[in-house]
Amino acid sequence: MSKVIQPRLTQVFRFVRCGYADGVAELVYAFDDGDELIERIRFPDAPPVSADRRAAFDAASSMLHLIAGVSYYKAGVPPKIEVAGHELDDATADLLDALYLHGLAEFAYRNGLDLRGRIAFPRMSRENSTASTATAKASSLGLPQRTLVPIGGGKDSLVAVEAIKSIGGEATAVWVGNSALIAACAERTGLPMLNIQRELAPGLFELNRLGAWNGHIPVTAVNSAILAVAAVLYGYDSIAFANERSASAATLEYDGQQVNHQWSKGYAFEQLLGDWLHTHVASDLDYFSLLRPYSELAITRAFAKLTPYFDVFSSCNRNFKLLGPKPADRWCGQCPKCHFVFLALAPFLPKPRLLSIFGRNLLDDETQAAGFDALLEYQDHKPFECVGEGAEARAAMLALSQRPEWQEDALVARFRSDILPQLDPAQLALEPWLTPDGEHRVPTRLQSALATIG
Amino acid sequence: MKFGGTSVATLPRWQNIGELVASRQAEGARVLIVVSALTGVTDALKQLCSESKAINRSEAARAIAQRHYDLLDHMQLSMPATLGERLEDLARLANEGAATLGELAWQAQVQAHGELMSSALGAAFLSHSGLPTHWLDARDCLSAVALPNQNERTRLLSSMVDSRPDPALAARLAAQGDVFITQGFIARESQGRTVLLGRGGSDTSASYFGALLKAQRVEIWTDVAGMFTANPRQVPGARLLQRLDYEEAQEIASTGAKVLHPRCLSPLRESRVPLLIKDTNRPELDGTVIGPEVRAHAPSVKAISARKGITLVSMESVGMWQQVGFLADVFAQFKHHGLSVDLIGSAETNVTVSLDPTENLLDSDAIAALATDLAKVCRVKVIAPCAAITLVGRGMRSLLHTLSGVLAEFGQLRVHLISQSSNNLNLTFVVDEEVVDTLLPHLHDLLISAGALRTDDSALFGPSWQALYGNGESVAATTAWWRDAQREALLELAAEKTPRYVYHLPTVRRQAGALKSLGAVDRLHYAVKANTHPAILRALAAEGFAFECVSPGELQAVSAIVPASTPLLFTPNFAPRDDYALALDTRATVTLDALHPLEHWGELFHGREVVLRIDLGRGLGHHEKVRTGGSGSKFGVPLDQLTQFLQLAQTHGVTVRGLHAHLGSGVLDAAHWGEVYVQLASLAERIDSVVFLNIGGGLGVPSHPGEASLDMAELDRVLREVKAAYPQYQLWMEPGRYLVADAGVLLARVTQQKGKGAYRYLGIDTGMNSLIRPALYDAWHEIVNLTRLDESATALYQVVGPICESGDVLGTDRRLPEADEGDVMLIAQTGAYGKVMSSHYNLRDEADEIVIE
Repeated sequence: MSKVIQPRLTQVFRFVRCGYADGVAELVYAFDDGDELIERIRFPDAPPVSADRRAAFDAASSMLHLIAGVSYYKAGVPPKIEVAGHELDDATADLLDALYLHGLAEFAYRNGLDLRGRIAFPRMSRENSTASTATAKASSLGLPQRTLVPIGGGKDSLVAVEAIKSIGGEATAVWVGNSALIAACAERTGLPMLNIQRELAPGLFELNRLGAWNGHIPVTAVNSAILAVAAVLYGYDSIAFANERSASAATLEYDGQQVNHQWSKGYAFEQLLGDWLHTHVASDLDYFSLLRPYSELAITRAFAKLTPYFDVFSSCNRNFKLLGPKPADRWCGQCPKCHFVFLALAPFLPKPRLLSIFGRNLLDDETQAAGFDALLEYQDHKPFECVGEGAEARAAMLALSQRPEWQEDALVARFRSDILPQLDPAQLALEPWLTPDGEHRVPTRLQSALATIG
Repeated sequence: MKFGGTSVATLPRWQNIGELVASRQAEGARVLIVVSALTGVTDALKQLCSESKAINRSEAARAIAQRHYDLLDHMQLSMPATLGERLEDLARLANEGAATLGELAWQAQVQAHGELMSSALGAAFLSHSGLPTHWLDARDCLSAVALPNQNERTRLLSSMVDSRPDPALAARLAAQGDVFITQGFIARESQGRTVLLGRGGSDTSASYFGALLKAQRVEIWTDVAGMFTANPRQVPGARLLQRLDYEEAQEIASTGAKVLHPRCLSPLRESRVPLLIKDTNRPELDGTVIGPEVRAHAPSVKAISARKGITLVSMESVGMWQQVGFLADVFAQFKHHGLSVDLIGSAETNVTVSLDPTENLLDSDAIAALATDLAKVCRVKVIAPCAAITLVGRGMRSLLHTLSGVLAEFGQLRVHLISQSSNNLNLTFVVDEEVVDTLLPHLHDLLISAGALRTDDSALFGPSWQALYGNGESVAATTAWWRDAQREALLELAAEKTPRYVYHLPTVRRQAGALKSLGAVDRLHYAVKANTHPAILRALAAEGFAFECVSPGELQAVSAIVPASTPLLFTPNFAPRDDYALALDTRATVTLDALHPLEHWGELFHGREVVLRIDLGRGLGHHEKVRTGGSGSKFGVPLDQLTQFLQLAQTHGVTVRGLHAHLGSGVLDAAHWGEVYVQLASLAERIDSVVFLNIGGGLGVPSHPGEASLDMAELDRVLREVKAAYPQYQLWMEPGRYLVADAGVLLARVTQQKGKGAYRYLGIDTGMNSLIRPALYDAWHEIVNLTRLDESATALYQVVGPICESGDVLGTDRRLPEADEGDVMLIAQTGAYGKVMSSHYNLRDEADEIVIE
């Protein structure tokens, strides 16, 4: 019997159960006593799970269940979370509390919700947890020395792929879901490919129709958890994401809370999940970002050398499900990602080549002024700060404004006359952005790949 | 007769050549066959040349030889001595390498073997098949000339030949026989070395031979029937060009057409030898004849082409242009950076030039370095990516007045440069590259409907590419219902009273059936504004259609006729508040297309579900006034207001259940709806409440003879493809004209005739008061004299109505039989936007309406 529920009035979000058979993981959730919401993840050509990896596989699967629940939990944001048949140790509960709070921060901000104090995963008593943590030091599984590289269709993962290829590392291009764009990029890498399918519970669409809360979820966390299961299942010792330095920075602060649109791409989550996998799944399974020490501009400069990808990649925010041959079939030309990638690539590519990638010149289009202003953090947008994309965009724009082949283009000319006089030239140099900086968790085996990027 | 690589690569194709040559011989002609190398062999020889090791080269030569052995086997021929020598020769050259001959001369010698071998093989086969064929070494006939701007590479690999008539050669051949075979692509220079003719070389060889021998004609046999009015890959409706003069053909070849290399025309122009392009697989097709002149005909645009990837360099400087040598200095910079200039546009203070896409341009710093150097003397702007759209036709300047609709289209775009050549053959517009793919088919249609591309002249224009080579349904138009079966009935109806509209319901049902074949569409609405006749509404309700209304009046009219369960859609524009209030009290789904209703009347929509009509940008359609997308159109919420709309919806508790876009009317390109559908779907993904997408109507109905109809199978395929990617959304459409246009005719009677200068006016008893589309949209409706349908059309009439307006013209320059007062005239395709747009203007009686069940 189907029960009609009002998602926003629900009281409990329940992690009902998770199972795995024949390459398909079933993740089951429910609100209150409503219908089960069943998500399925399909691992193609999955080998049987060997006995010595069983415990690790179960641990990774159970974490996947807990993390993927965020897509459903956010439909109702009920005050209580229940995990059937499980008590979580502190490390696990801490990771999930943090993920649900920070990963849904933008969602909460946009919907006018405050999740602080609302998210509490049930945890075992302190004594049990301490005991559990003490004994739960995962052992080494002897995983093969090869790397899963998730492909997103954008430039970053392709830079990571080429870095690993350049040191002769063994890797597989992996992606979750149906994207012709990503498939085309993955194919162009020449690496073996793994395409994992994720089917959201159909009930979620029904909840949306009934007025569920909606918004951004930390999808990188879900994909990370899927890849952790895949690494144990197929045998990989490393999962190399391509998240850059500025992914760790907050995009805004709201009511005293940091809101980071891409929190699950940030270093904090990388540390939480990387450590958790070492202690709960396998001591020899490394989860990290290969691009962590690099800025967007440094990565863009590396990508500018990868000509073979120019006619397949796209970083555009718009979800292109059907691929056409034209640049406009991959780049909407309107969204912040289009603006940023265009601007960031411009200093590193011959102008006609760059324009052939996008099929148009975004910087000679006056109607795009507001978009680039936002990128440069000019006028109505947040104030100039020396962090992240804003400062990088200003550095790239200054570089272009000094080049004769660019300086007459409408928005570059506008930058020179209107914006540049208000900026401190000392803050605008391009070069500092090109040197690696800061922490990373790249394992020793792959650190030479890291060095090839800079 | 010249045959290319694929035509000489297999036994059946050689048999085909044998038949074609024999047929020419039977016509009394002597034949010289010019052949390319077997397909792929020239590339293999180039590859051989690039191998540094002798052993690899020899291996490559063996593989090439094997291709010829295999073909000989198929032909069941033993090795002819002529071919054997060539193979040995090639093996020796491969083994020796370039050392003795020198790199370039050796390359030329090696690559020449492709044609030497294929022609030797062909001579053997044809002679063996009973067609005695003499093998002729092209190098003994074609002498390369040294030109001052040549270097060693161009002299050897991209040579030019003296093409002055050579009576001695003609006499020598005449003495030897009737059928010869020789090689394309090769010649000999003054020192006796073998040289190559470069790209398009085999066609050029055929032209050289044609000129030297003063041939009756040169025939280029290829895989397509000739040149077309546009690139068929971009414009499937492109028409075969049956006659061109040399200059036009060269212009078309230079600006896009791949079928002929432009350089092969100049040798023929001087000797006035015609060139014929023919399809090897379809020899029955007429092909394209290129000759000295086309017999007198009205000036017409012959072709439209587009070249992409163009970069413009615009140089701005005050008062510098008068300085002696300034331009020379500027152009020296282009030479210095290895960039070659194509188009040039100049003004007092600005010179803009175009650069073709080259590797140097795309992957080196050439443009940055050029700009840096130019910036020292002027302001530089680099504009890209652009595309050059070229209209080709002799006497282009005299055609300008017919291009107003076409120029209006350019008025919506950023046109960076216009160039009109002094030879009066072309008109080129450089625009942003991104618009070209959709623009080109549209311009092609506009050129035809504007009478600038005179496809009605059957001496110049052949069938469309789609009709010749397209797959899917043939465009053979079904005979209109009024022409045969219903003609007598119509004449009787006209005898009772005119003017009157007659609607043929079986045609409505047939069109409904065609739409219902679109499996991806979940709900079809009839856009009732096209025709609100109760019989048509009833017929379409019976066909299971839902209905789309744009006013309370239409809602009322439809509600009075269709069953209470039939879904309704209300899609008004700039309607007053009360209209929405009224519609919200019916079962109709309401579409909003502005912020205003939610901003000011939010409470009216509280708790309701609405459809949002979005303006996706550039509009499409057969006339500016039927275009409904783009900022110049009053319809839809622009994309940059989408977020605001959604916020307003949320504020007022309004659920956006569907998204709608409709870009224009009369669109005949199936891909268009796929694009709208994809764009709506990707927008819908950001709005969780959306469950259906309404991609509008606008399905075109061809009006001109020979115009291809909308390919419903292709539309079905396109829609299914998008649906597979976005299965979560229901798909809605709202066609109007497509359902009813062909079902209706307007009957009128001849009133008076008048001659005035060269014009002959044929007056009928109704005009723009009954049918305003010709005056409003320049719409073209077929007009026939139903009384004299079988008489030959000898008069050229301007068909006009009785309204006191100079715009009261229903058809211009119509070929019709000589008419008499009282003859019944039929204006076709008036089932849509005919009666519903009619008026009492001049207080003339309105046409009545009759239905044929």
